[in-house]
Amino acid sequence: MAMQRPVTTPIMAPGTRYRWDKVREQHQLVFPEGMIVLNEPSTAIVRLCDGRTTDEVVATLKQTYPGSEPTDDVYEFLQQLAERGLIREGALGD
Amino acid sequence: MVTDQPLPRPLALLAEVTYRCPLQCPYCSNPLELAKYRDELDTETWVRVFRQAAELGVVQLHLSGGEPLVRRDILELVRAASEAGLYTNMSTGATVVDETRIKELRTAGLDHFQVSLLDTLPESNDRLAGTPSFEKKQAAVLAAKRLGFPVTLNVVLHRQNLDRIAEVIALAQQWRVDRLELAHTQYTGWAFRNRAALMPTRAQLDVAHREVERVRAEGTRGVDILHVLPDYYFEEFPKACLQGWGMVSMSVAPDGFVLPCQTAREIPGLEFPNVQEHSLEEIWDEAPVFRRFRGTDWLPEPCQSCERRDIDFGGCRCQAFLMTGDVSATDPVCRFSPNHYLVEEALQEANQAPPPLQYRVMSVSR
Repeated sequence: MAMQRPVTTPIMAPGTRYRWDKVREQHQLVFPEGMIVLNEPSTAIVRLCDGRTTDEVVATLKQTYPGSEPTDDVYEFLQQLAERGLIREGALGD
Repeated sequence: MVTDQPLPRPLALLAEVTYRCPLQCPYCSNPLELAKYRDELDTETWVRVFRQAAELGVVQLHLSGGEPLVRRDILELVRAASEAGLYTNMSTGATVVDETRIKELRTAGLDHFQVSLLDTLPESNDRLAGTPSFEKKQAAVLAAKRLGFPVTLNVVLHRQNLDRIAEVIALAQQWRVDRLELAHTQYTGWAFRNRAALMPTRAQLDVAHREVERVRAEGTRGVDILHVLPDYYFEEFPKACLQGWGMVSMSVAPDGFVLPCQTAREIPGLEFPNVQEHSLEEIWDEAPVFRRFRGTDWLPEPCQSCERRDIDFGGCRCQAFLMTGDVSATDPVCRFSPNHYLVEEALQEANQAPPPLQYRVMSVSR
């Protein structure tokens, strides 16, 4: 069964920030009192949460990684981030 | 320390940029003999510390005090920390700040604004703080939210405010803060001196605990609630203090001394290095005070042969020292500690009439 799109337009919650940790050579998502380490695919998703829609995130990833089918992975990861309060719905009046 | 793992780099740095504070909270974690520590690092030295911290691998910087906002150079410090790439948090009493200053902090790169609240009843908040402050705190929280900050409300819980935990949660929801930290008093610093006045009763704790669980079950309406239980009552085993001494975090005191934990300077016999003489990296890697309780080799019995050795590392060094006089003892919170009776005795105090609170003041000495 296809997953539901968790948010229309994912944007970072206030205080959530992507950073590259040059000491540990790691992608991180940092937020108040916490941090998660991101792998390459999740980093690519996080860096696209800049005001574009979830559909556009998926389309961009398909272009970047030809032959990939990223839709479910994107939905699942955005769902997890939303549950932890790290991203928000950025669509106005949606 | 015997290990195949390389020493991890610290993730967090607590910068207590001043011990000066307009509030007189009777559970302050600052040293009792505040008057002994009046020196403060200058701007340039703090900026150097923040850059060194970022290079060392620190991710989260906590600007605290005292009241960090009494530093005239606070915007410069925030800007330097942010430019160094640190995720910059500030813990403030929020009584010496207005909307303009909060906006300036945002522009300077502050990531997260944490405000202390002592009680939901304004008169009780103001009595515990020793100064009228409730309305200022409220104004600061609302302004910070308007300006787009993630805001955490920090409420230290104890005998004199615990019965209002439902009101605390309701107020956090009304103010629309992002996070609510409900942390029971840690009995070090001023709180140890005031323990008998602050220790709640078992009955109070049970009601409060149920209340938090009820709210969680019903939904917290956008407020992330962190509830830190009191280890004297709830734990058979001690907390994994600092997630291990010298493993994750370090603190720099206002005068530049570097401590594995901000309350550790009250332990006699420990010598602390200073950022004016050594780099943070040298201190983290080499300083005897960081190596002393790092890992598990130093642990006494009953810890050394305990299966929880690598889980709690013997508990809190400050608590062990304050309660037993021996900094290397097992934390008395542990039920296997030969000194566990000290915790049970302290709990008995909660069933008696509380003595008057002794408020944090700069001039007092023991």
